[in-house]
Amino acid sequence: MPNPEKPGNTLFIETINLYVPEVMQTMVGLSATPGKGVENYPQPSKLKGVTGAIGLSGKVNGIVYTAFSDPLSKHVAEKILGGAAGEQDISDVVAELTNMITGNLKSRLCDLGFNCALSIPSVMRGEDITVSAKNATICVGNDYAIEGCPDLLSVLVFAALDN
Amino acid sequence: MSSPKILSVDDSRMIHTLINKGFAPYDVQMVFASNGAEGLEVAAKEKPDVILLDVTMPVMDGVECLGKLKADPALKDIPVIMLTAEAGKENVLKIAKMGVRDYIVKPFTEANVIDRVSRLVTLKPKAAAAAAPAAATPAPAAKKTRIATDAIKILVVDEHPAIAESIAKAVSKRGWKVVSCPGPAEAEPHIATSVATEETPDIILVSLAYPGKGALKFYQSVRMNPALKGIPLVGLSVKTATFDQNEAKETGYAAIFTKPLDLGELPDRVARAMDLDITPIFYSAEGDCQVLTISQDLSETGSLDLTRQSRKKIADLVNAGFAKLIIDLTGVTKFEIPLIRAVASIIHECNNLGIAWRVVGDDPDLSNLPTIISTNLKVAALKELPNPFANTAPLDVFETKAAAAAAF
Repeated sequence: MPNPEKPGNTLFIETINLYVPEVMQTMVGLSATPGKGVENYPQPSKLKGVTGAIGLSGKVNGIVYTAFSDPLSKHVAEKILGGAAGEQDISDVVAELTNMITGNLKSRLCDLGFNCALSIPSVMRGEDITVSAKNATICVGNDYAIEGCPDLLSVLVFAALDN
Repeated sequence: MSSPKILSVDDSRMIHTLINKGFAPYDVQMVFASNGAEGLEVAAKEKPDVILLDVTMPVMDGVECLGKLKADPALKDIPVIMLTAEAGKENVLKIAKMGVRDYIVKPFTEANVIDRVSRLVTLKPKAAAAAAPAAATPAPAAKKTRIATDAIKILVVDEHPAIAESIAKAVSKRGWKVVSCPGPAEAEPHIATSVATEETPDIILVSLAYPGKGALKFYQSVRMNPALKGIPLVGLSVKTATFDQNEAKETGYAAIFTKPLDLGELPDRVARAMDLDITPIFYSAEGDCQVLTISQDLSETGSLDLTRQSRKKIADLVNAGFAKLIIDLTGVTKFEIPLIRAVASIIHECNNLGIAWRVVGDDPDLSNLPTIISTNLKVAALKELPNPFANTAPLDVFETKAAAAAAF
C-alpha cells in the first residue's frame, strides 16, 4: 500500500474544493461550484472587497485568505443572519467562514502528520490589497461560483511545510 | 423543573446568533461568552447545564478553558460539547482525554446542535412548556432520525396522487414510509394528528403549484409549530417554474425536486435534504474488517454524498481500531461515473489514512480497475479527483469476502 504523500499543491486545492462548498452549503445554504484551481498562484496577488485571513503555524506555516466582494459578503452575511447585516456583522461572518474552511484544512493536514495551530481570524477591507508569502512552497487558489451571486469567492493558500 | 441553561462560548457573534436562533423555539435560557476566560466567569456565575465551547478564541482558547473547567470542583461535572472547525485526529483525541461529552465539527446545522444538546438535557418546546410545565415532552430534535437505514416517514403534499405513489415506490427499497395529502388544507390537520401520536413526518415534500402562494403559506404554518422544528420541507415543481422555485428557496424550502422526478436519484436526494448519514447503507462490520458494499445502481447524488461522508466514516473507522476495508463490488459490470467517483475517492482516503483494502467482485474486468479509474479521471465530472493508483498494474480481485479477508 502506498505511503501517504507529503501534501502538495494538488492536495491543497483538492482539500479547499471539498470544504468551501461544504461550508457554504451547510452554513449559508448556497452551493459553491469550484473553478479549475490555480497551482503556483502568482505572488504578489491583489485582492479586493472583504478578505478573511487566518495564519497556520507549526509543521505547516502559512496563511489562508478568503476574498469576498462587498456585495457577496453582504449577501452571505444576510443569508446566514436572516436580516440586514452591518459592517461588523459582515466581518464577523467572513471571519467565521474563513475559520471553518481553514479549520477543516488544518484537520486534514493534521491527519497527514502536519499539525499546526491556527491564528485568530482577521478581516481586511479594501480595493487593492496585496498579499504574498515569500517562503511559501504551496501557492494555490481557486474561485467559487456562489449560487445566485454574480461575484466569485476566491480562496488562496500560501504555505510552507516542515521537512 | 426550571428550563435548562445553555452557555455558548465562542468569539463569533455569528455562532451566537445561530445558536440563539436554533434554540428559540425551546424553553431554555441562553447565556453567552466570547472567549475562554469570560466563559469561566459566566459558567461560575450561571452554573449552566451544558456548555458549547469553541477552540480557537482570543484571550483564552477552548482547550485551556476546558482544562480549567475540569479542574474546578464546582464546574467539572457540567457537560461540555466542543463546537469547532478543528477536527484532526490528534486534536480530537487530546480534547477527548480532557473529558468532553461530545464533539460537533463546524460547519454545523442548527438541528445537529439541538440534537446533541437534547441528549444531555430535556428540551421542551416553549408552547408545550407553557401549557404543561411538568410534562416531559421529548424534544422533536432528539427524536429526529439521522441515519438512512432508520424508518423515515415522508409526507407528500401534492394534488396528483401518482406523484406520491411514484415516490413511495422509489423509497420502498430503503424501507421508508410515505403518507400523502392532496393539499395544504388536508396536510395541516394530518400533521397535527401525527405530532399528537408521535408519528411526526421526518420530511415534507410539497407541490409548489398550489394557487395563492399556498406552498409558501403552508411552509410558514409548519415553521410556526416548534414540534416541527428542523423538519425539512422540499418543493416539488416543474422545471420551467423557476419563479416559484426561487420564491420557495427564499422562503426557506431546503431543496427543490423538479418534475418529472428522477426516481433513481430520489432516495438519495431525500437523504441529502434531511442531512442523513447514508454510510450505514454501504458499510458493515465483518470480524475485524469493515465491508463497503457498492451496487451497480449507485446514483449520482448517492455517489457524491457517499464520497463526502466516507471521509469522516473512514477516519472514524481508524479511530475505532479498524485497519482493513473490503470493497465489495459483486454484481458490478459497468463502471459509470458515480461508481468510479466513490471507489476512487474511498481508496484514496484509505491510502491516506493507512487502511489496507481489498476488492471483491465477480466481473473479470474488475482487475483492470486501476486502468479504468485512471482513464476515467480525465472526464470533466471527475477531473478534480485524485488518482489512488500509482500505476495501472492489474489488481487482485477476490471472489468472496472470506477470501479477501484471508488475503490481508
